[in-house]
Amino acid sequence: MKCEKCGKNEATMYYKETVGGVTREMHLCPECAQKENLGGAFENAFQSMNHFWSDPFHSFLGGGFGSLWNDMLGSPTATMLGTERKCPTCGMTESELRRTGRVGCPDCYNTFSDILNPYVQKIHGATQHIGTAPASPEQPKADPIESLRAQLKTAVENEEYEQAARLRDEIRRMEGEQK
Amino acid sequence: MSMFEIHGGFTGLAASSRVRLARNLKGYPFRLTDAQHQEIADKVFATLQNNPTIGPEFEKKQIIPRSTEASQLVEEHLISPDLAQNGGWLIVSGDGGVSIMIGEEDHLRLQVIGSGLCPKECLETANRIAALIESALPFAYDERLGYLTACPTNVGTGLRASIMLHLPLLTATGEINQMVGYAGSRGCAVRGAYGEGSKAVGGFYQISNQVTLGASAAELTDKLVETATTIIDAEKKAREQVRSRNEAGLRDRIYRAAGTLRSAYLIETAEAVQCISDVLVGLQMGMLSGIDPQKLYTLEQRIRPAMLTGAPQERDQKRASMLREAAQNIRFA
Repeated sequence: MKCEKCGKNEATMYYKETVGGVTREMHLCPECAQKENLGGAFENAFQSMNHFWSDPFHSFLGGGFGSLWNDMLGSPTATMLGTERKCPTCGMTESELRRTGRVGCPDCYNTFSDILNPYVQKIHGATQHIGTAPASPEQPKADPIESLRAQLKTAVENEEYEQAARLRDEIRRMEGEQK
Repeated sequence: MSMFEIHGGFTGLAASSRVRLARNLKGYPFRLTDAQHQEIADKVFATLQNNPTIGPEFEKKQIIPRSTEASQLVEEHLISPDLAQNGGWLIVSGDGGVSIMIGEEDHLRLQVIGSGLCPKECLETANRIAALIESALPFAYDERLGYLTACPTNVGTGLRASIMLHLPLLTATGEINQMVGYAGSRGCAVRGAYGEGSKAVGGFYQISNQVTLGASAAELTDKLVETATTIIDAEKKAREQVRSRNEAGLRDRIYRAAGTLRSAYLIETAEAVQCISDVLVGLQMGMLSGIDPQKLYTLEQRIRPAMLTGAPQERDQKRASMLREAAQNIRFA
């Protein structure tokens, strides 16, 4: 099916709203959905999720969370048509991920890495974990400072200077602790 | 002193510290059935019980959705409003210093609370308990993203460290807005302690780290402490400025607040919190003595509506009675 707005691209988004008893349905391509600003219509619903004042684990991005999530992931209520991507482990669908902002299981981070990695980068300004890791009794753990130095080298090579600065600070901190 | 009580020393400005780690068990989806919640609660509890030193400190309780006990646990900051609403399990140390929520959006939310400015000490305890659990029950972990969580905003360290700050003068002068901006530039968020968007009653705010990935938990905590310290210094400065401009006015307000706590027979929560806030300022500035600020701050939590039973007027009477008893030895300096 072609997009009802532009008539050119494939319609992958389905949008339905009922206002004052009048129901409007649209099949749109992602670009036209973006132009229609459908994401904004649901920002309020997202903001009500941000009752994080008493639960610091909820997003700290305040009102920005809705728009940020929408920017990154598209309209949260749009349903992907046809064969939708699903996590093979937990069955979480792409549209559910977009709608809820929550992943279904650890494997979702791989299944939807194309969506989640840029999002993680945008929230945290980083994509590499630093610090505590599970102890693995089978393989004695490498020197943590050495491992950070290796990460620092990679970061510099990739011109990820912010990440490099963080790693440098962490190395200094750990070296300070050893003295 | 009981095993998990952490005291950072109440400066009159940093009331309490809290560290939370989000962890999920390997091999389970993030969303669990009630039976799986119970299974995980049993496993975690058994792991703690196997440790002869700390095992006896812990008890496990089921959270009945929307129960009175659940509301009280929310006011004590031991469980989240979501857990009180949806139910789950709580494993908690006898002194309330360490608590583990099971049934939130992540399998485990391990929390350590201490009084005063002590997030580093809280983190050490949290790390120790997390490592103990992890030795028997491996967590979902990824080399790149660290500890995996249901919401991508918590991946990596899974850390949320926060400090409750008492900033009534920065609130009064409006400088608090600049401080919120400053904290934001340092990767920390500041919000009213008792309600998103609500006014910070009594000038109590919570400051916490915003990001959880890309820096170690220790580094994030250090940065939080540095930021909080700068804000505390600004509050102290604001207090001294008010003293130098109008000491008599300040003293009058503080003395009246102390008088209200000592003599009110009926008192509503908002007025009580405001008076406690003023008295805390008086104690820190040496205008009052005879009551431990930490005790007063603890009382500030215990007089909240969900913590008292009865009709509204009965609650106002009980609240006033608790405050009169606590404030009877207040002395004017």
